[in-house]
Order: sequence, then C-alpha cells, then structure tokens
Amino acid sequence: MHDKTVRRRRAVLALLVVLSLILLTAYFGEASSGGLHSVQRGFLTVVSPIQNGANKALKPVRDLIGWFGDTLHAKGQRDELRKQVDKLRREVIADDAEKHSYRELLSMYRLDNQLSVNDYHPVTATVVAKSPNVWYSTVTIDKGESSGIHVNDPVINSEGLVGKVAQAASDGAQVTLITDSSVGVSARIGSSNATGIVQPKVGDPNDLLLQYLPANTQASRGEYVVTSGTVSSPDDSLYPPGIPIGQVTSVNEESAYRSVNVHPLADLHNLDVVQVLTSGSGSLPSNITRLTTDLPAGQQAVPSGEQLASTGSGG
Amino acid sequence: MSGISGGLLGRIAALAIVLVFFQIGVVSEVPVFGVSVDLSPLLVAFVGLLCGSTVGAVTGFAVGLLVDLALVQTLGVTSLTLTVVGYWAGRLREVRDPQAALTPLLVGAVASAGAMVAYSIVQFLLGVDAPVSLELLRQIVLGVVVNTIVALPVWAFVRRCLIGGLPDDPRRRRRRAYTTGGLSPLSRS
Repeated sequence: MHDKTVRRRRAVLALLVVLSLILLTAYFGEASSGGLHSVQRGFLTVVSPIQNGANKALKPVRDLIGWFGDTLHAKGQRDELRKQVDKLRREVIADDAEKHSYRELLSMYRLDNQLSVNDYHPVTATVVAKSPNVWYSTVTIDKGESSGIHVNDPVINSEGLVGKVAQAASDGAQVTLITDSSVGVSARIGSSNATGIVQPKVGDPNDLLLQYLPANTQASRGEYVVTSGTVSSPDDSLYPPGIPIGQVTSVNEESAYRSVNVHPLADLHNLDVVQVLTSGSGSLPSNITRLTTDLPAGQQAVPSGEQLASTGSGG
Repeated sequence: MSGISGGLLGRIAALAIVLVFFQIGVVSEVPVFGVSVDLSPLLVAFVGLLCGSTVGAVTGFAVGLLVDLALVQTLGVTSLTLTVVGYWAGRLREVRDPQAALTPLLVGAVASAGAMVAYSIVQFLLGVDAPVSLELLRQIVLGVVVNTIVALPVWAFVRRCLIGGLPDDPRRRRRRAYTTGGLSPLSRS
C-alpha cells in the first residue's frame, strides 16, 4: 500500500514535470500563430473582461495600499526636500551677503575712481562694532595703525562721507561718524562755491546742518552737499574735495548766515565695509594736515591748484 | 491523494483563481522596496504544507499554468517551478510534519527563493537575453524578503480557507494523539 502511494506520488510529479517541459518546449518552439499561442490568446480573450472587472473592483484596494506607500514615499521626499531647502537657503544667504559685499566694494571702487582718492592710500576695513545706544555716532573697524591708519583720517563708504578716525590702535580704530557733535566738515553745495560747516542738527542726530553759508547762497532741495577739501580748524581731518555728504532737504533764511538742512547720503546705521583715506608721510594730506596745525584757529587751509593737480584730486 | 475531497479541490481551485487575479490586479501594481510581492509560490507552498505533496504539485502546476496564460508568458516555465515548490512543501509536511509557529515563515521564504532562482535559471536556459547582474540578485533577495514578510498573513488566509475541507489537520491530529493516550508522556507514567 505504501509503495503504491509512493509510486503514485512520484508518477504524478514526473507527469507534471514532463507535462511542463513538453508545454515549455512546444510553446518555445512554435510560431506565434501556433496552437499554444492561440490557446493563450483565447484564454486572454475570455479572461480579459474578468480581469478588467477585477481590476476596477480592486482599484480601491490598490489605491489604499498605494496610499500607504505613497505616504511613506512622500514623507521621505518631504524630508529630502527640507534638507535641500535648508541647504539652498544657506546658499542664498551666503550669496546675498557676497552680493552685498561685492556691490559695496564695486561702488567704493567707482567712487575711488571718480574722486581720485587713490592718492590717499585708501584702506578697506570692515565695521566690527557699533555703539549700542540709539544715538550711536561711533563705530569700530578692524584695521588700525598697522595698516597705516591714523587719527583724523577721513572715512568713506560707497555712498559718501562717513566720518573720521577718532582713535587708532594697532589692529583697530574707532571712527566718529559725521553725525557726532564733535565733527565739523567743511562742505559746499554742489552748484555753488560757497562753503560752510556741516554739523549734526541739534536734537536730531540723524540729520545734518550746513551752516555759515553766505546770505546770498542759492540752494534748492535735493542738491548735493560735498566736501570742500578744506579744514575749518587744526583738529579737523582733511577730507578730500568732492566727497558727497548728503542732500539738501530745506533752506533756513532766518539769520545773517544761511543754513541748509542736509540728510546724510551714507546709511550710518547699516555700515558694513568702509574705506579709510590714510595720510602717509610725505603725502598731500599729510603735508596739509601738518600745515593746518601751524595755522591760528579760525583760518582755513586750502590746497593749491598745483597740489591738487599733482595728486589728481579735483573739486 | 487519498482523502482529498472534491470540496477541498474546489476550495483550492477557487483560492488559486482569486489569488492569481488578486496578484495580477492589485499586488503586482504595489511595489514594496522596489519589488512586488509574489503570492503564487506562497500559495502553492502552503497548499502543499496543508494537503500534501501530490496536491501541492498539482496545485503548483495549475497555478503556474494560470499565471503563464494570464500574463502571456512562456507556457510551462512557472508550472515547472511551482510544481517542484508544491511537491517539496508537501513532502516536508509528510516527512517532518513541522509544528513550529514560524514554519510557514521559513517555508514561504524557501519556497519564494527556490521559485525565483529556478525561474531565473529556466529563463537563462531558454536564452532570454538578460545579463546576470547585481541588480538581478538584488531583485531576488528583496523579493524573498518581501515574500517572507507577508508569508504569515498569507498562511493564515490559506489555512482559514482550506481548514474546513482538510481531512486531517496536522494540529488537530497532534492534539488528538495526546488526548487518546498514544503519545502523551503523561500517559506513559
């Protein structure tokens, strides 16, 4: 009985294997129009509607299963995209900072060319600290005496005059801004030759006042106020002529001297990169600065035309 | 094949048709880890594990033929591999009668691996122009892993469908053997 069962089992297996091999060989050997292919096509024809029906009926199941897969996939994608966004955001911020620096340096370069301040050996410095109070009028820069910076050297940025060096250490310097009450800059209105002194407006440290202009001075709103290239006292620094300071906002005519309100061009609250116009030994600014120290107070020293021409400075 | 009723054969046929269409219509369109679950070797192996080698082999042949016909593949290839899988699972039951809870998991994994490897070998022997590559091996390994993951639920489903028609359920047989006193260690003492 046992042998019979074993024989039958083995016979069934052999039969099925042989049948499979015959099917395989016949199917593989025949042309596509052969019998087995026809049977397969017929089966497909019969089964296709059922398959389509089943396919439609099972679509919700498929969608449900797919939903889980899609959700997991979407979560993975979301995490990946978040990482990309973070990376791109960092890159954009870095690019913006670089672009900002590039623009400032480009503007400064153009200003240097326009004003010929190269004769003043400009030293580019970065603002590393600002006075923390609202009225701050000093900033600290990362260059000092080791870079040739001295007290009273003018400081500019791409927009115009910023201030002057108040104190200098070996690797840093403190810059007093033009809105500080201790600073007075000899200046003129662009269209006229009349000069005056630019000082911060009392009660409004963000605005400037160009004072001591002759009574017949013509000024109109929007005109530019630029440095005159002279010094008003021995303590003043020699600002190269023609550096823009601000724009006229209004004209005051109530006194013997005319004065105009000036809004500074340089954004003094957002200083980043500045240039210090150094006065090396033997240079024009150095000579004139030395000359002014010998003058009695109240007299002005104006560089002669020859001196200006020899240094290429104009205005 | 003695003791196999027509009802059981009907259940197996219905189960095979339903699972093959479910495989084609749903499962094959839902990739997991980049591969699809292949229910046919699991079905055949579990039928063999429950019903024996002869029924397993016949089921393997029939399911293989159905798959080849429905998917317009070379007739006989899947039949050949699944016949062997069904027979092996049936023989495992007849010779070892494993009762461990994880048996279906291992049987499913081995059956899936055997079917996939055998299918690949037959395809290569037939001259199908597909290079043996790491990608192919990766697909096979992932396919086995995914099939192993679903082996227990499929086993539970197949067993639930066929249990009513089985002439002699292995677990019931084991339980009966203890209660009748023949094999119980307690009865010996």
